[in-house]
Amino acid sequence: MAEVRHRIQDGTGTSTVARVAAERKDPHARRITALLIAPGTIWMILFLVVPMLMMVYVSFWTQKTFTIEPTLTLNSWIAFFSSETYFGALLRTIRIWLIVLAATFFLGYPTALFIGLFIKNKTLQTIVLVLCVVPFWTSFLIRVLAWRPMLGKEGAVNIVLQKIGLISQPIEVLLFTEFSVVIGMTQIYVVFMVGPIAFMLSRIDPSLIEAARDLGASTWRIFRTIIFPLSLPGVVVGAIFVSVMVLGEFATSAALSGRKVNLLGNIIVTQVGSLKWAFAAVVGVILTVVIAFIVAALLKIVDLRKEL
Amino acid sequence: MTAILEIRNVTKLYGNELALDGLSVGLQANEYISLLGPSGSGKSTLLRIIAGFEKPDAGDIFLEGKSVAGVPAHKRGIGFVSQSFALFPHMSVFDNVAFGLRHREEEPVRDEGEITRRVNDMLDLVGLVDLGDRRISQISGGQKQRVALARTLVADPKIILLDEPLGALDANLRSRMRAELRRIRQQLGITFMHVTGNEQEALAMGDRVAVLDSGRLIQVADPDTVYNRPASARVARFLDCYNMFEGRCEDGERFIAGDTSFPCLANQNAQAGPGFYCVRFDKIRVAPASEAPQPGEVGVRATFITSEYSGPSVMYFFEGQGNKVLEVEYHLSHRQPEEFSLGGEYALLWSPGDALVYA
Repeated sequence: MAEVRHRIQDGTGTSTVARVAAERKDPHARRITALLIAPGTIWMILFLVVPMLMMVYVSFWTQKTFTIEPTLTLNSWIAFFSSETYFGALLRTIRIWLIVLAATFFLGYPTALFIGLFIKNKTLQTIVLVLCVVPFWTSFLIRVLAWRPMLGKEGAVNIVLQKIGLISQPIEVLLFTEFSVVIGMTQIYVVFMVGPIAFMLSRIDPSLIEAARDLGASTWRIFRTIIFPLSLPGVVVGAIFVSVMVLGEFATSAALSGRKVNLLGNIIVTQVGSLKWAFAAVVGVILTVVIAFIVAALLKIVDLRKEL
Repeated sequence: MTAILEIRNVTKLYGNELALDGLSVGLQANEYISLLGPSGSGKSTLLRIIAGFEKPDAGDIFLEGKSVAGVPAHKRGIGFVSQSFALFPHMSVFDNVAFGLRHREEEPVRDEGEITRRVNDMLDLVGLVDLGDRRISQISGGQKQRVALARTLVADPKIILLDEPLGALDANLRSRMRAELRRIRQQLGITFMHVTGNEQEALAMGDRVAVLDSGRLIQVADPDTVYNRPASARVARFLDCYNMFEGRCEDGERFIAGDTSFPCLANQNAQAGPGFYCVRFDKIRVAPASEAPQPGEVGVRATFITSEYSGPSVMYFFEGQGNKVLEVEYHLSHRQPEEFSLGGEYALLWSPGDALVYA
């Protein structure tokens, strides 16, 4: 009996085993199972399912100037899709997400390759990974705002470029543009790409690379056919981290764009600020759907449960 | 016979540790040579140097008469099968075997038809022709071993190096793979060099056995010679089938070990001095302590400790002088198993001509 129960909990039990156990209907075991899953289930229902349903519901309410009434209407949805500003924000959010995702990947992958594959010493590997996290010891907002004295008209970058004579006039497009938003986000989120990739790379058995070399493959071939495919689960996990965080962003774009770059997150903040709950809910629903699609698409690339 | 691979005075240092100490050996074409050595004897180092993964600090290696110093691993025409198999986990069995043909830098095979034909021929040879589509995680340990072998063989190497190839397999599978490896080698007619720490495996597999100790080869001979006439006491110790008495030989006629003395025969060529007197486990007869030895027999007295039954034979363990454990093996096809009383005193007897004297 204990054996049977053990196999079911392992998740390796066959359907026959499960059926036999179900027929026995051990009331004690079932009570324990119910007890164990209850706290998590109640928590998720109260703080995830109910609020999400509420958000969808509120998005159909009727918005008056200073009040909101639970009369169902499509007005807020129509307003979103018919407005150049709001629909444009959706496209801008997706564009910036793609740029930041690509930037974190192309900066993060070589870094992870160095940490995970070229540093052989495990202790040194951990030390370098911890160094990557050092910026997190200061607050998020300070890290974002620190880019202003870097990129500003009289900021560090312009001063250095002028001193070495590369430019005569300061470059003004560095700050308060989409460019500065992308720079800020990339710097903040790149570490979430580096971590999972470095982890997957450090798990690659060096004898695989040796075997591939012995079979005559060039370094580039080995990277393409062995190293990259084996690190793909790390890339997907990193991409999910970065995507979820970038798509919901509002602080970086507010602080580094001079409020010129409005993302969906910024719209939610301003709408909530002016008590436009129904419209904020519409944007929230759209953002949730977009993120859900992207995460689902990323999970299609690899079967994480099998790979990790 | 011509030497296909010749190793000359190869020396390798790790820090101040001498891993290989001026080692020389030649590999013949179309032979199975097994390299026996305890862990730390330098056998994996030697293999990695031959394969080209590491450079020797001194000495040279000649492949078909040409030095391979400076020739990278994949251009040597030497296949290497590692102990962990090193199969690519994200590819199918077929793609693993096809890897070298498809992705090698020099003369990759572009024609998928030819790849399919050659890979399937190889899978057929190792008996896995139906498993080409399986993923590596879906096959057993013995099958992984065959895939690793096929992946190396498909490139037509002249020599295959096997690093403890049977180490990761269970006992049952090990004996099946032994026969399989020999069959594959004979069918292809290429040279296999098989590294192992297991003396039985070394004797069973090799046309020749090379015994490695502390970075030197201490005997290279056919298995029968190694087993029956080990070149030195150290070789006898590795074989783990000899009772070894430490002592000294006097006048080349008597060997004194503790309180006992054994006669040395003229053909044992014993010199006066310290050394070892060795008697194989299965050359010993156990008799009651009261029984007088037969003419021409010598022996020691010992206390029975325990026995271990292993099917075709049974091992008896005795405690001799100075708490020395002495082992006696009865092959049950020749002798009847006996019941000895625990703690009882017995005489272990043998014919002096069966003993080996190293002094």
